[in-house]
Amino acid sequence: MTVLEAADVHKRFGGVVALAGANLELAAGEVHVLIGANGCGKSTLCKIITGSVFADRGTIRLDGRAMRFRTPSEAARAGVGVFYQELSLIPQLTVAENLFLRRPPRSRAGLVDRRRLRREASRALERFAGAIGDIGPDHLVADLSADQRQVVEILKVLVDEPRVILFDEPTAALDNRQVEVFFDLVDALRREGRSIIFISHRMDEVFRIGDRVTVFRNGESVATMHIADTDKDEVVEKMLGTRIEAVERRRDAPKAADVAMRAEAIGGTHFDDVSFDLRRGEILGLGGLHGQGQSSLLRALFGADNAFSGSVAVGGEVYRPRGPRDAIRAGVAYVSGDRGRDGVFPVRPVFENFVAALLTRRRRARLDRRALSAEVGAVGDRLKLRAASLDALISELSGGNQQKVVIGRWLVNEPRILLLDDPTKGIDLNTKSDLYRILDELCMEGVSVVFYSSEERELLANADRIAVFNGGRVVDLLEGERVSELNLYRAAFAAEGH
Amino acid sequence: MSAARERTRSGPRWYRHSLVLTLAIIVVLFAAGETLSPGFAAPGQVIYLLVTASLLGFVAAGQNLVILGGREGIDLSVGGMISLGALIAGNVMDASNAAILPALLATLAGTFALGAVNGLGVTFLRIPPLVMTLGMYGVIQGLLIVITRGVPSGRAAPMLSAFVNEPLVLGIPGILFAWAAFAAFVIWMLRSTAFGLRIYAIGANENAAALSGVAIRRTRVLLFALSGMCAGLTGFLVLGFSGNVFIGVGDQYMLPSIIAVVIGGTSLAGGIGGHHGTVAGAIVLVLLQSILTTLNIDPSGRAMIFGGTLLLLMFFYGRQQRLRV
Repeated sequence: MTVLEAADVHKRFGGVVALAGANLELAAGEVHVLIGANGCGKSTLCKIITGSVFADRGTIRLDGRAMRFRTPSEAARAGVGVFYQELSLIPQLTVAENLFLRRPPRSRAGLVDRRRLRREASRALERFAGAIGDIGPDHLVADLSADQRQVVEILKVLVDEPRVILFDEPTAALDNRQVEVFFDLVDALRREGRSIIFISHRMDEVFRIGDRVTVFRNGESVATMHIADTDKDEVVEKMLGTRIEAVERRRDAPKAADVAMRAEAIGGTHFDDVSFDLRRGEILGLGGLHGQGQSSLLRALFGADNAFSGSVAVGGEVYRPRGPRDAIRAGVAYVSGDRGRDGVFPVRPVFENFVAALLTRRRRARLDRRALSAEVGAVGDRLKLRAASLDALISELSGGNQQKVVIGRWLVNEPRILLLDDPTKGIDLNTKSDLYRILDELCMEGVSVVFYSSEERELLANADRIAVFNGGRVVDLLEGERVSELNLYRAAFAAEGH
Repeated sequence: MSAARERTRSGPRWYRHSLVLTLAIIVVLFAAGETLSPGFAAPGQVIYLLVTASLLGFVAAGQNLVILGGREGIDLSVGGMISLGALIAGNVMDASNAAILPALLATLAGTFALGAVNGLGVTFLRIPPLVMTLGMYGVIQGLLIVITRGVPSGRAAPMLSAFVNEPLVLGIPGILFAWAAFAAFVIWMLRSTAFGLRIYAIGANENAAALSGVAIRRTRVLLFALSGMCAGLTGFLVLGFSGNVFIGVGDQYMLPSIIAVVIGGTSLAGGIGGHHGTVAGAIVLVLLQSILTTLNIDPSGRAMIFGGTLLLLMFFYGRQQRLRV
């Protein structure tokens, strides 16, 4: 039985076509996964369904009746809820206050009825008592663990008793264990008979949680399949329109034996006693579970945040950056996957986003727009950047293209050492493959790369060696034949690193 | 596809739109003034208005820099800085043409230093700009009273007065040339120097700017220092404009300096805006005030109309920015 249906939905943003004929049928009690490259329109479709964006053409039917929500609260009242990951909780308020923020129970005088608020919150919490432990309605959200916040976040959607729930990349910020907790919650919702739309970038998740999957490509829904009847290759094939190979090591280990960066027993916040030799022209992968000190190490090596103890040498000379400026001038570059926080200057043109670090490297006071534009344009071409012009605001680009500009900012600097901190987080497959191609080229040119990724496959396919982190320490260094998924998982999931 | 080859325009789209809008408003205001009171747009009158606007323009330039730098940047001490600048200038030159240059240097140095104190308080002691600069205003105000014992002192040198008030070439006083050159310099600095780009960078995303190697603190301290110095320069010129000074002479510039910046299209959130907008904003404000003066309404009515018109202007700017997104 179809609960929600989207038929032939079209949407343009200015000159950009976001949706060109999207169709979706959501059955009662199913988890329906939407998958596709970034900018393929799946998020836009969700926004249209929940009333935060209007369609140019097409219909949305809820229980067979055409609907046109004007705001998310209107959609919520009709039984369509949206889940936002870690965005909507207010840490200074209690669990109960957060749950009923949008619609607190009122007393007859119109004031918030605190007793009823607590009672209804307690009742809501009972539903997931197993997952949340002994958290009560009066706990401050600030005191909760990340897992518990997730549960509260979901409960907040559930207080409206929605029959349809949309999850837009809910697991992007979670580590593997949190993802499992989350999936248990989704399973529970499915058992209650709710229908779920689930947007994901991770293939594994599709097969772990989905009943059916709809694949998007260039604003169209190209196929809907039962999970049981398909496999990863077929889904990827539909996404790309062409078939790609499974994980395969694409590079030969570098021949050059000279060391670009040598770290000896360095330590800092969240990492300790880390030593490695980074060879010229190699990609050294940092593996392990999310948040085991990999990011902290990279940021410390770049002079961001806190200093490190121990010693590091770059090109044989002592390297002790007091800030990113020292690092940049020593030929070190750092690309963060958190482009909102660390990458883009949102209200500024693409050009300025490109040259920000170059000006630091070259120490020039004057900005020669013409010469710089030529340089930047060349890097943009190399990255296959799609932007209307260098004067376009970066916020007008798609997420993948924004990240290309951030990467380009560091490529124009012609770095000797490139530190990558999960640089492909939340970007589409095409952008990823462009990045991999460029990494190969850079290595051929003698650039050395330290590459942290939260996707194991990405590391396995690209890194020459992988240092596996566990509890802030390197527990294994995979080389040659030992670079494999099995060894990576073994080290990452070892009981304790020290 | 090549981004470089398609780059032909001189700046971001919205930027030019708001400039066109502001220029249109200036023309409309002149036309309105001429209709309400014939002679409003006569050459001599226009020049007088522009001289008044230039005084506001210098101080608003500094205000603009601080606001562009983000992190709720705002400089409420400019009123005090102007009064202090005028006082220093007046006492150092004391009606002597020979002492104009030393007076200028002393004024700029003094206000630059106090502005830097604002910046240090904001960056190192993490005092919100609103509080820090308002406190600075209070301190300067008290200082002025202590120094002068409430009695105004210091006189403008004749050459300075002439520079501000009397025609130099083509019936245009020197100050307008100075303003034009100054504005061109600031526009160039914001668009074509690494320093300009760093201002936008810290205003748009401080984290990303730090990771790109921008010295956040040093840049921000410099912005506040420059704002103090621009206000000091205004004080120097105000001395030439009125011949001598009283203690609160700068106060009337504080709010208009912020409004001119915002009318000019600079976002109070930082990172968006340019200097030509601020120049136009200063002219719009002075025109508006002047039209209201010719209307012969009592001051309270004038204040209400002035405020209402500003809100209306803001409304249109707000709409325009929303359409752009």
